[in-house]
Amino acid sequence: MKGLLTLVWLELYSRRKRIAALLGFGALYLIGALTVRAIGVGDHGQVEPDALYQFGGYPLVSAFLLSGWSIGRYPLIIVLVLVAGLVSNDIHAGYTRIYAATRARLVVLYGFRLALLMLLAFVMSAVLLPVFDFIILGKLSSPQLFVLVSAYILVFGSLTALFSVFTRGDAWWALAVWVAALIWAAMKRGGLLAHSPPGIDPVVTAILPPQAALNTIEDAFGMMQPTPWGAFLYICMYAALILLVAGFALSRREI
Amino acid sequence: MIEIRNAGKVYGRRPGVVALRGVSLTIPAGRVTAVIGPNGAGKSTLFGLVLGFLRPSSGDVSINDAHPRDYMHDHGIGYVSERFALPPGWPVRRALAALGGLSGLSPDHVDTAIGEFGLTEHRDKMVGDLSRGLLQRVGLALAFGAHRDLVVLDEPAEGLDPVWRIRLRDRITEQRRAGRTVLLASHDLAEVERIADTVIVLDRGEVKDVLDAGSDKAAPTAYRISLSDAFPRFAEVFPNATANDTSSYDVVVDGVDDLNNRVAALIEAGGRILDVRPAHEGLEPRLRRMIEP
Repeated sequence: MKGLLTLVWLELYSRRKRIAALLGFGALYLIGALTVRAIGVGDHGQVEPDALYQFGGYPLVSAFLLSGWSIGRYPLIIVLVLVAGLVSNDIHAGYTRIYAATRARLVVLYGFRLALLMLLAFVMSAVLLPVFDFIILGKLSSPQLFVLVSAYILVFGSLTALFSVFTRGDAWWALAVWVAALIWAAMKRGGLLAHSPPGIDPVVTAILPPQAALNTIEDAFGMMQPTPWGAFLYICMYAALILLVAGFALSRREI
Repeated sequence: MIEIRNAGKVYGRRPGVVALRGVSLTIPAGRVTAVIGPNGAGKSTLFGLVLGFLRPSSGDVSINDAHPRDYMHDHGIGYVSERFALPPGWPVRRALAALGGLSGLSPDHVDTAIGEFGLTEHRDKMVGDLSRGLLQRVGLALAFGAHRDLVVLDEPAEGLDPVWRIRLRDRITEQRRAGRTVLLASHDLAEVERIADTVIVLDRGEVKDVLDAGSDKAAPTAYRISLSDAFPRFAEVFPNATANDTSSYDVVVDGVDDLNNRVAALIEAGGRILDVRPAHEGLEPRLRRMIEP
């Protein structure tokens, strides 16, 4: 157990540059948030788009809205960057064989490492997002934010880990299936799948990341409605299934 | 004991690249078994199969009747890969502590291994700052520090200086004395000849021969006898002798007693002996004969 913990610590240590880069990236958001607050704070203590428009016109308002949207993707970005190469880099460099020669089970070893990286992604997001919201809105976010962060990290951490068993382009594949899921969910919302052959929609929806469930949680958070626990449970089950497949594949694949 | 039954390995889609074909071997416990052969002969693939890193395309492999990965989980092994590597950003001491810990080594054992392999002054360095030879010693410290029943060494002397090559040889000899099984791949034929009990010759994915080097060394039957002068009556004492020149002969005897009796008879007949030494054929000419078309 001690060896496992030391190895997990080394995992963090060897990813320190990535972590520093992500912290720097997060700091940029906070600097941006402080800047727009200095420019456009309204009577209710929150940043007002009208005030920003008067100062910088549409470009400033667009940048503000875009940063608001993209900070919501921070958990996704951070988990992709942290988990990228989890297994694939080790296999490529030959480290996995050295780990396998100890008495450790690779599934347990990489499971621990993944759990640690996902926890780190959660902590970093759970600090940055509320601070960003506080600067922009002048009040604390609702605890639902942590559910939303967890949902993104569970889905995309597990997906990246699964791809990492097979390819060094793991994070890019996870990003690609996320984009595919976004497009699929948008098509579904727009009613474009009404005439698709029977069975296609449920199968594709089940395989792609659960974007509909993520949207449900995000919408509930945005509209300050109760947490949709059913959607979160679906996300947990999806992540668990993906991790099971990843574990099985890792135990079977050549290293 | 490692059993390899009709194992084959093909890389890639059909037809693929055949790395091993129909290899059947029994690698006995408690001995040093070396695998030699040219580059691309299939040595690393064979090791990959033996350790369960690769799945055979045909046949199967077991260690003590267990699947190799199960064996490794249950017992652990000592292992040094060809060009051993660890993440360059890891400090040496912590890397050894982590991997040693996974192998069940206490911190004291790890420190002992660090000392035994001359790494004490390098323990706080990053792995990436080590020379090739030092990094190889980190691998050897891991492989030997755990005192496993099975030690697998793929080109272990890679990058080692002459002093550490000698120490490595001593280590391998110690393993044999302790009754452990050592499986070794090496291009250094002289080293293999010194330490191996059994030598497996691989070429183009096939086993060309299995040489029992141990019995050759323990009870030689072929000798080269050199005389100070030509002695025409040599054949009277050694009827099956082969003359190398007028004063040097290769002979085959039934054992040490037979050799001593005949040498005594030779001296009595007036022959003057300069040198008697075992004349087993070295690995190099045998390998050359086996792999050259």
